[in-house]
Amino acid sequence: MSGITNTGNLGPMILQSLAPAMLYVPTPTMNYITVCDKVSMPANGGTTCRFMRPRALTPPTIQLGNSGIDPPAQVPQRDIIDAQMAFFGTGCIINEQVILQDQEGVLAWVSERLAVAMRQAEDLILRDYIVSAASQINAGGGSNGDNPTNLGITDFSLVAATLDTNNAYKFMSGIEGMDRFGTGPVRSSYFMLSSTELQADFDGLQGSGFLSQWNYPTNASALPSEYGNVFNIRILTSSEAPVARGASDLGSDVYYNTVLGKQAITHINQDGYSMNLIYRDPYYSGMLAQNATLAVKFAQAQAITQDTAIRNLLSTRSSSLGV
Amino acid sequence: MTEYSRMAKGRFVSTGAAQIVNLPFVPDYVEFINYTASASGADNGVPNAHWDALMGQGVAVIDRFQAANQLTTDTVDTLGISTFTAGQMLQYGATQVVGGITKANPAIVTVTGHGYASGDVVIFQNLYESATTGMPQIDGIPFTVTVIDANSFSIPWNTNQTAYTAITGGATGGPTVKKVLYPYLYAPGVNIISAITTGSTTTIDTTSAHNFVVGQEVAIRMPQVQGVSPTAWGDSRYNSLPNSLTPGSPQYGYVIAVTDYNTVVVNINSTGYTAYNSNIPVANVSGLSYPQIVAVGDVNTGGVQISSGSALYPPPFTRPIGNTTVNTINGPAIQGAYFNNTSQGFIIGAGAAEGDASAILVGAAEDVIYWRAYLHDLSIPQ
Repeated sequence: MSGITNTGNLGPMILQSLAPAMLYVPTPTMNYITVCDKVSMPANGGTTCRFMRPRALTPPTIQLGNSGIDPPAQVPQRDIIDAQMAFFGTGCIINEQVILQDQEGVLAWVSERLAVAMRQAEDLILRDYIVSAASQINAGGGSNGDNPTNLGITDFSLVAATLDTNNAYKFMSGIEGMDRFGTGPVRSSYFMLSSTELQADFDGLQGSGFLSQWNYPTNASALPSEYGNVFNIRILTSSEAPVARGASDLGSDVYYNTVLGKQAITHINQDGYSMNLIYRDPYYSGMLAQNATLAVKFAQAQAITQDTAIRNLLSTRSSSLGV
Repeated sequence: MTEYSRMAKGRFVSTGAAQIVNLPFVPDYVEFINYTASASGADNGVPNAHWDALMGQGVAVIDRFQAANQLTTDTVDTLGISTFTAGQMLQYGATQVVGGITKANPAIVTVTGHGYASGDVVIFQNLYESATTGMPQIDGIPFTVTVIDANSFSIPWNTNQTAYTAITGGATGGPTVKKVLYPYLYAPGVNIISAITTGSTTTIDTTSAHNFVVGQEVAIRMPQVQGVSPTAWGDSRYNSLPNSLTPGSPQYGYVIAVTDYNTVVVNINSTGYTAYNSNIPVANVSGLSYPQIVAVGDVNTGGVQISSGSALYPPPFTRPIGNTTVNTINGPAIQGAYFNNTSQGFIIGAGAAEGDASAILVGAAEDVIYWRAYLHDLSIPQ
């Protein structure tokens, strides 16, 4: 069998070739920025963004009578909410040899990663702020005996009723039922920002009120991260949703399920300073070293602008976690 | 190789407790000189110390006086020098076994060698004993601790009530406590109420630092607990739900005085309101929500009052314990504004030298300490 040329005796001169497609980077969905109101502070506008919300005037329900005397005037009142701007940023220093020798477009993909890191930072800042500052309701409708309990169907009713009583505005109008097998109508809804780790719990509520996004009459209005609906709440899940590990009464994980209506949270940037990509090409960095720098920087503030329209519904989990 | 290195130096006057130093970077090398200890040469003084990231967190290599003006070398193995990055919340320290919690107001907690400092925030777990005994009512609540000694501290909660049973823990698997590492990343935040004094104005105590300022507009959340008499937690009229007299208008109050880190006076007239009641039976704990006070706005003052020597717009601050204020690293702000309190840097701890328990790394109160911190361009791990 001699005479056959194979890669054992005539191997390729170059053993490696870069596959044309870059592999994806696992990235959580960023739900917090999605549900925020957006406001831009003007340039030279100082450090603090101020919001003003008028208060309702007392409705005149008492008849004037025939005395000809006016009732006393009302004094209009307003609420002031201030948010202080903060700057954030990060970057990479890349030696010229990397740019010169590496096969892939290093500057291109590093720029992309910096941009994603910055968008994630926006979302994480909002997430942590909401956990810090929004009022809380502990779930009590579940059956695991912990505090908070796992999510029970009544918890969704309770939190939605709380926001309704506060006259909060819902995000989404309802979806009428259609003659499609397995689907059901969806009520007008608030959003709940929840953890992907709770999806098994939501599935467990199927038949008691949970409707998967795929059981909506039409999912044209569903967001990519939307998992489903319970009563007046549409659930968006993300792997970055806040979890206090081992923080419940009995040592279980506590999930911060943020339920909110319109204008509950406002995200503020400064004069479009929502993202600046700063590139400096390879430049004198020593006698011989020439390094390029790539960096991103942004300004952000955040405020709870309608405190009556947001609650963190704290819960534990009934199902086990996969790994 | 120094273009991208970071170096910083500074000075502080020790309080005898761990000192936090905020920096725009996380150092990999820290050193300091205790000028006071060096000048006095007194026994037990630590005139200088060094720390490298490769040594691990919470240690230090030190010189110390083993007798007057007689130096020797030593190490600090715990509560030494460490770095921190306070940028993500919901981080906790190590779980410690609770030895006991008294029925008292404030409650006294025993944890052998707890290592906490006054102003630290902790949460408890596994305080449930039976359907009628234990203290699960306070599980999960963030409490600011006031240290009594190395093995005990108090928390601002009244456990001297019929529904509470003194905790006599100490066993593994029983009651535990852990520190909330960065409790005030964003301020002002949501606070759990530990007591209310009714009257023409309302005095509210919180379980951890409220970080409010005078003029802060606040709302109270008073959840209902079914089947508890007298009404728990308190009068539903505190709630900022829309006023039935003026539908659509929430009821808010303003902070009119800040007594200390966990007590504020609010201009809500609560005369005749049902007294605050935290005597919640153990059977009601599952699903129990807690009364809260939250910031909902600021006053329209445009800044702080100008007094002699005061800055018009100081940086925002937190007030972790007593009336001690800690400035954030951010710039000037209107008081009461929501602010971001994230930071990074290093901590010089109050740990003792391995060979002499009375030689404390951060020195004694009033010691003047000069520090330097570095982040090196080129760092070669071994």
